Amino acid sequence: MEAFDLRDDLTGNSASGAANTIQFIAFSIGEQTYGVEITTVREIRAWNGATPLPNTRPFVRGVINMRGTIVPIFDLRARFGDGQTAATKNHVVVVMSVGEKWVGILVDAVSDILTVSREDIHPVPEGHSVDTELLNGIVTHESRMVGLIDLHQVVSGARLDG
Amino acid sequence: MSDLDDFKATYFDECSELLNDLEEQFSAIEDGERGADRLNAVFRAIHSIKGGAGAFGFSGLVGFAHAFETLLDYVRDGRVDLTDEVVALCIRANDIVADFVAAAREGTPLDPDHGAEEKARFDALCRGEDDDMSGEPMEEFDIEFVPVMVNLGQDEPEPELATDTFDAIPFEPADGHWEIHFAPHSALYARANDPLLLFRELAVLGEISVKAVPGFVPPLADFEPFGVYCTWEITLNAKGINEGMIREVFEFVEGDCDITIAQCGPTAVLDEAGAPVVASHITDLDENDFDADMVAEAAKPAEPEAEVLSFSELAETIKPTAAARAAVAAQPEKVIQPLAESGGGEEGGHRPAGVQSIRVDLDKVDRVVNMVGELVITQSMLTQQLDDNLRARYQELVRGLEVLAQTTRGLQDAVMAIRAQPVKSVFSRMPRLVRELAGKTNKKIRLEMIGENTEIDKTIIEQLSDPLTHMIRNSADHGVETPEKRAAAGKSEHGTITLSAEQAGGNILIIVEDDGAGINRERVLDVARERGVVAPEQQLTEEQIDQLIFAPGFSTASAVSDISGRGVGMDVVLSNIKKIGGSVHVRSRTGLGTRMTLRLPLTLAVLDVMLVKVANNPYVIPLSSIVETMQCSRADFGRVPSGARVLQVRGEYVQVVDLAARFEMQSEADEKNRFVVLCEAEGSVKVALIVDEIIGQQQVVIKSLEENFERIEGIAGGTILGDGNVALIVDVQGLKTAAIHKNAA
Repeated sequence: MEAFDLRDDLTGNSASGAANTIQFIAFSIGEQTYGVEITTVREIRAWNGATPLPNTRPFVRGVINMRGTIVPIFDLRARFGDGQTAATKNHVVVVMSVGEKWVGILVDAVSDILTVSREDIHPVPEGHSVDTELLNGIVTHESRMVGLIDLHQVVSGARLDG
Repeated sequence: MSDLDDFKATYFDECSELLNDLEEQFSAIEDGERGADRLNAVFRAIHSIKGGAGAFGFSGLVGFAHAFETLLDYVRDGRVDLTDEVVALCIRANDIVADFVAAAREGTPLDPDHGAEEKARFDALCRGEDDDMSGEPMEEFDIEFVPVMVNLGQDEPEPELATDTFDAIPFEPADGHWEIHFAPHSALYARANDPLLLFRELAVLGEISVKAVPGFVPPLADFEPFGVYCTWEITLNAKGINEGMIREVFEFVEGDCDITIAQCGPTAVLDEAGAPVVASHITDLDENDFDADMVAEAAKPAEPEAEVLSFSELAETIKPTAAARAAVAAQPEKVIQPLAESGGGEEGGHRPAGVQSIRVDLDKVDRVVNMVGELVITQSMLTQQLDDNLRARYQELVRGLEVLAQTTRGLQDAVMAIRAQPVKSVFSRMPRLVRELAGKTNKKIRLEMIGENTEIDKTIIEQLSDPLTHMIRNSADHGVETPEKRAAAGKSEHGTITLSAEQAGGNILIIVEDDGAGINRERVLDVARERGVVAPEQQLTEEQIDQLIFAPGFSTASAVSDISGRGVGMDVVLSNIKKIGGSVHVRSRTGLGTRMTLRLPLTLAVLDVMLVKVANNPYVIPLSSIVETMQCSRADFGRVPSGARVLQVRGEYVQVVDLAARFEMQSEADEKNRFVVLCEAEGSVKVALIVDEIIGQQQVVIKSLEENFERIEGIAGGTILGDGNVALIVDVQGLKTAAIHKNAA
């Protein structure tokens, strides 16, 4: 839900006064940094394997037990089309809430918490449809580009027939 | 409005409980237990249903329940004898009340004459015994309310008049004249009780006169908008009532009001004429003209031309009222019994003290069940961490863990017990069903119920109603013979259907048994052959033939009745029971009867499974669907033109599903070392699953995959194993359907 609000803001509705800054958790996949809004993050934990789910797309790494709830894990690298992550104990799962559901994304490392002013969020340049589909916007942090993930899009289309 | 809907939902919940209770009481009464306790319980239940119905305006229900209640009251007083005919009438009336409740819940109108016949009987019975009572209003408790203007002229302290009025009453105690002083606390209004409803109830007992008495009204600064500044004086003229009956009217507001009841004498209504307080002459009054707010309204200067008084002046004006009231209360001639001390009252004595149960949302209980499940897993994980070395070093820790293990197990049992309910809630619907079936088929059938208090998980109970209904129908329609046939066979004309429940190990057995003719195997087999359920040359054992009645689309009834015989029903029983992890078994002896046994798991929250491995990943298969397991090296495989394998088991060819291939995973196990798990899907269709390894049996807690993900074909859900890893539950039925689908494509 937060992700949608964010997008609304991007289309020019940024006059929300006090809440004019947003905080993001920044994490890396290879050389690239991405961010998700901090309010959606529920837990960050080390990768400890997952039970694979049959008949799902390769970016669905399987399910884990998070305090009694079964949470699916999405491999963000695979989602971006760079092949499955060779996951080790040093890899990190960021568990977030997307709407009513809890999902985890597998990333290489969590790096930072960014505080960004809403005006500083740039739209994703038109070009490749994958980029505009999976990203909400782009911010610059310490002269590096940080892509803001659209969680709803990342977790959709997980089933093979979907 | 949603608040009202909530109240309605609660009311209907209570109604169904009360109706179940009534059914139970009546079956005891029918069996000859005719003690006062039973009657009182029945009376209370009907009264509660009526009370709620009145509040929600279900007039049909109120009318019928009222007539019913009146009869019960007469029976209780001994004015009407509790003959078998009356019992039968009451049982029928019980069903009609249930119909009214159902109609009110569904919002579907009932036939306006519904229950009219029974109601007429009630009236006739009551009149027959006591002609004086014919004048008693059975139906007309619409009381007209005429508000009287408040005259707050300072020169006229009206309480004096009120006192006069009371003084005017002759005090020789005699039957029929009652003084009731009713002082509601604010809690009474806060609980949405309306004094009008109470007065109407009273009006049912006899002629009443109600007078509102404004109490202390404080200065405006201290005025509480929701405070109660008014009490009520009620005079009741009625024949043949006792104090208990009056108290019963106030039963629901007990504790939220001060009430004194005094019997005075035979005189009629108070002299109203000179009482300019908030007086109301209640004879025929209309609901719309009256509600609790009017009291507040009336307490203010109502006439525009009247002198406007400050609240303190107002208080001054009406202060003497209280004094007058105190004087009234102190009248030594009156027999005044404060309600709190009347524990020995007719109704009061049977009421349980304090709150005995609470209503909790099932979701909340489920959350606790889930968390306890986690606790159990965590606890077993901790225990597994302890090796001998650690055990030797940290004895205190080990002891602590043992206690923890015990406590967790206790906690698990306790939580499961919260969800458990006696099967009574389903069983109690059956006597009515049997009565109706007996009526329709002109048979004489008695229903015996055993072990109604056996407890079983609530979710299972909910799923049990349909199958049981079908089974009882089947027994009544096909099992029990007509009285003539029974007589000819030398049996008692009364057929008996026994419905019993018992716990056997980790299962609940529910048995429906009749003493009828038994299954006509010849006919069953003929019909089965005719419908292609059984191949012409196939030979079946007696037991297998009996089991055929559960086959889909199978029915031996020569005529399709509206009771059973459409060929749906028994297969519904089988599929419903399978769905909740149970099994059905039927055993029949020709001429002696049929016994159908349902074997059910104690709870749905825990599933008995077989843990297997497929490509090194854990999967579990519900034990209830497994027929047998065997090693692949010993299995007899064949190939069909599509290249798919089939398995031959005892002359039957069964579709084979290799789970690793089906789930698109690479199995590293040697084919010879793999295992076949023969499973039975819906409709007795078998499917052979190939797995890499069989680990063993265990109980697991079912978790939803859809909660955070989505449905996956062939997977029924997930579960968390003792090591904290997730295992997936194989959906045998889903795999079977998907496989057929794939082959067809």
